[in-house]
Amino acid sequence: MDEDYYKSIGFMCGLEIHQRLNTREKLFCSCTSKPIEDDEKPEASIIRYQRAVAGELGKIDAAAKIEEGKKKAYHYNIFKNNTCLVDIDEEPPHQMNKDALGIALSLAAAFQMHIFKELEPMRKEVVDGSNTSAFQRTTIVGLDGRIKVNGHDVLIPSMMLEEESAGIVSNGEDEAVFNTDRLGIPLVEIDTDPYIRSPSEAKDVASYIGMLLRITGKVQRGIGTIRQDVNVSIKGGARVEIKGFQDLGSMDKYIENEIERQKKLISLKEELAKVGWNPEFGKFEDITDLFASTSSHLVKASLENNGSVIAVKVKGFKGYLGKEINPDRRIGSEVSDYAKLAGVKGLIHGDEDLKSKYRFSDSEISSIYSRLDIKNNDSFIMVTAPKAKAEKALNYALERITYFAKGVPPETRSVYDDNLYTTRFMRPIAGGSRMYPETDAKPIIVTDEMVKEAELSKPNLENAIAELKEAINDETMIKNLLLSPRYQLYKEISSSINIDKKVIADILMQKFTEMKREGVDVDSISDDTLKSIFEMYKEGKLTKRGIVQMVKAAAEESPYAERSRLYRIAEERKFRKLSREELLQIIKEFEEKGSKNILASIMKEHNIDIEAEELKDLLNNSKV
Amino acid sequence: MYGGLVKELLDKKGLKIGDFAQIEFGNSKEIVKILPNSEFTEKDILVAKLENGYNFGIAVDEINNIEKVQYKEKSDDFTEPESPSIELGKNLPKVSIIYTGGTIGSKLDYRTGGVYMLLKPEELIANVPELSSIAMVHPIHLFSVASEDMTYLEWQQIARTVADEIKNGSRGVVITIGTDTMHYVASALSFMLKDLNAPVVLTGSQRSSDRGSSDAFMNLICSVRIAAESDIAEVGICMHKSSSDDYCQFIRGTKARKMNTSRRDAFRPINDLPIAHLGVKGEIYYDSDYNKIKNDKKEIDLADKFDEMVALLKVYPNSDPDIINYYKAKGYNGIIIEGTGLGHTPVSGKPEKSYLKNIKEAIDSGMIIGMTSQCLYGRVNSKVYTNLRLLSNAGVIYCEDMTPETAYVKLGWLLGNYSKSEAKKLLDKNIVGEIKDRTLYDEFLI
Repeated sequence: MDEDYYKSIGFMCGLEIHQRLNTREKLFCSCTSKPIEDDEKPEASIIRYQRAVAGELGKIDAAAKIEEGKKKAYHYNIFKNNTCLVDIDEEPPHQMNKDALGIALSLAAAFQMHIFKELEPMRKEVVDGSNTSAFQRTTIVGLDGRIKVNGHDVLIPSMMLEEESAGIVSNGEDEAVFNTDRLGIPLVEIDTDPYIRSPSEAKDVASYIGMLLRITGKVQRGIGTIRQDVNVSIKGGARVEIKGFQDLGSMDKYIENEIERQKKLISLKEELAKVGWNPEFGKFEDITDLFASTSSHLVKASLENNGSVIAVKVKGFKGYLGKEINPDRRIGSEVSDYAKLAGVKGLIHGDEDLKSKYRFSDSEISSIYSRLDIKNNDSFIMVTAPKAKAEKALNYALERITYFAKGVPPETRSVYDDNLYTTRFMRPIAGGSRMYPETDAKPIIVTDEMVKEAELSKPNLENAIAELKEAINDETMIKNLLLSPRYQLYKEISSSINIDKKVIADILMQKFTEMKREGVDVDSISDDTLKSIFEMYKEGKLTKRGIVQMVKAAAEESPYAERSRLYRIAEERKFRKLSREELLQIIKEFEEKGSKNILASIMKEHNIDIEAEELKDLLNNSKV
Repeated sequence: MYGGLVKELLDKKGLKIGDFAQIEFGNSKEIVKILPNSEFTEKDILVAKLENGYNFGIAVDEINNIEKVQYKEKSDDFTEPESPSIELGKNLPKVSIIYTGGTIGSKLDYRTGGVYMLLKPEELIANVPELSSIAMVHPIHLFSVASEDMTYLEWQQIARTVADEIKNGSRGVVITIGTDTMHYVASALSFMLKDLNAPVVLTGSQRSSDRGSSDAFMNLICSVRIAAESDIAEVGICMHKSSSDDYCQFIRGTKARKMNTSRRDAFRPINDLPIAHLGVKGEIYYDSDYNKIKNDKKEIDLADKFDEMVALLKVYPNSDPDIINYYKAKGYNGIIIEGTGLGHTPVSGKPEKSYLKNIKEAIDSGMIIGMTSQCLYGRVNSKVYTNLRLLSNAGVIYCEDMTPETAYVKLGWLLGNYSKSEAKKLLDKNIVGEIKDRTLYDEFLI
């Protein structure tokens, strides 16, 4: 589709990019910013409950309230090097990390922002448990920046320096578990204006900003270190924030689906208006008794766990809940997502095939209908769970159904299905009332020297391109490298190991992509191991093809292998590049065998441990 | 409040705190709300709030233009908290909640930056709805004094209010108070409230109640529960038992001490076990012996005088024993010494560093000198070492297993309410649980 189309539907789209900074310490304490290894065990765990408190303007934020409705126990895992009392809300914050501020300021300079003279740390209320203090410390650093993407000016209205949240380990009905290693790592939030013109442009803008971030050389890399959230709306719809993209490549497809979802919700609203539908519901009916001898596994399991079955009639809504609004997502899924806020697994509705999906008997079904007094056009929803929870779930669900008459609710949604590019409701969109000043942290004065330093250290795309041109001189590869999350790794390796930079770029880009496609987990290899492999190449112990084989072997066998281990692997698997003496010996053997095309014959057997050019040189020389 | 260039600018433009203004700087034009500055705000910096909720500080010389505008704040879709159905628990036991400062049961007013007390039961319950099922709460605002600024005058006021409330039919009393000197107040109330036959609970919070993670809510709920439901007839402190929101504990007022600057489980029993601990669901577990509420006890009485001419003195290596003479010359009636180890001061090293002569002279002049230990845990002893015997022979009273703070409060109270000779006799005798004959194995570092 072209831009005119998106214009015609009133497409609005902006990005919120969160990037973790690669500082030694966290933003407000001296814990390490390096997250734990995957298998690290916590040294302790604490339990906390949180409640919504009024924001600065005296209002409790809608998002905060809904989360509180769940009244969960939050467990926070504590790690020796990564957690101190600041992280678990037991000690006031220390001074803001100067390095983190420096990086944020240099980015603000790169975006040509207005940098404030005095920064005022704020608390942004967070009640999903992802912060032990129930708020995130966040500070606006600059305003009104801009970048040029595809010849189009994209404004960056604001940039914030803030704390990373705690990483969620598990999320159950009554409790959630978080790791606190991530909590408090410095993060920049970069927001664009909402005038991105198409889904594919959104992808380009995200790529461009990602590139600038990587050029600083001071951002963390790896899964989860950058998050790109998208805000989308169309005319007649509402702002919806989509979170949780792991891969920029499919961002446009999610946006397309969101457009579709909003269009469907708008036409549902119109249809409902046409038939004069008004949200009208029956009373909550406890119909547990109907299922005393049910063969529905779902209900049986719930009843065994102290569950009830509560149902409510939705007047005049027959046929709507089953309508598809996104691939494999129905109007009923929208309602069910809300019900889940109460901690239930989902809901059952009247448009579903109750017999085959839930194994209800005919008599059970007709009893439901008569108990709820379902007339021709009526539908119903029901939830099976402990009674109070089931009723809470139905209340949330009815709140959502009521909104169908109004159109698209403003929501934060998360990526739901990676293959179908669909999303699901997370919570109502956060409003402005969830901010209040962080009274434990002093304002920060930004001096002229700091601004000057930011100007000098700001990431410069032109310089980065020029530098790469000199080293690689391959435009496609340069472009790919700059857009790749591995750019920083390339910089690190190429600055510390003096070998042909083209080889490094080729391995990290082309070869890594190929290996990934073959199913090799190249990202599992530690930086040090990877550097050691390039060192071996530099020492003449590996050929270029040998590097690839070593990477594969390391990924399979030992992603954190040290040098000695790598040498051993090279020997065992015959990856070690042969010495000149060994080569001469082989040439001699092949000559004696009377091979015709010695070069081809040798290479056929030794394509990993011999570099063809070297062999050719040797053969040419030996003939002379 | 703003001064200098900011004030000049605001005055010129007719802008007040809380007004909306359109402000122009650099290439930007923003609608902002003018905010008050804080004590940390740099000179000539104006603090304002953007529409997205963020505050920022801008130097006056960066501002190209600023004009007052009429602006209506955005309100969110379903934000206004519906007023809760107030259930005052009329059939439940009456519990008085006395506010003396601190952030529990108070709300931050973001417009003024001030803290105001939730004095109407309805307001309090709206904020901590759990209370409505525990007690009929009766909030009283006594005063707002920071913990570190409290003196015995405030202790006396609190004691009188507690006595009045109990006389007026409260089953128990909760006192919300700043945490820094809470254990001094708890000791003082323990001595001042005579014939106490009700639970008196002091509580506070280490995280202010304007944050969702505050310990205030749980501390208040557990405290009210002790006051409404327990059969404990003692003064104690009720705060978090651990860093988790799983249990609070009730510690005897004379045996509690703040042992951490910031953690929510800062209050620990010293040389004692907690009296009880309480779970989040309201269950009370009794952990050790305590005075129980009796049916046929006489009415509460007050012994609330206090002699402020008592000092608490820490000795340390290289310290100057002249300090004793200083207090003597100022007319002090007593000193509690926080000695080293079992209860030492320097006595037999360099003569100019020895406390012995000065202590002896002070005692001979009529001062009471009590000895406690800066170890905090364990009991002082006057007999094990020669140097101890020297002090003891000079007339120093060894205060057994009392904390220095409790011994200090006790001595001031004794001198206020008894003759000097009686005070001297009573200092190392148990009155309200401040001294225990047995030190138990499991009381250390809990």
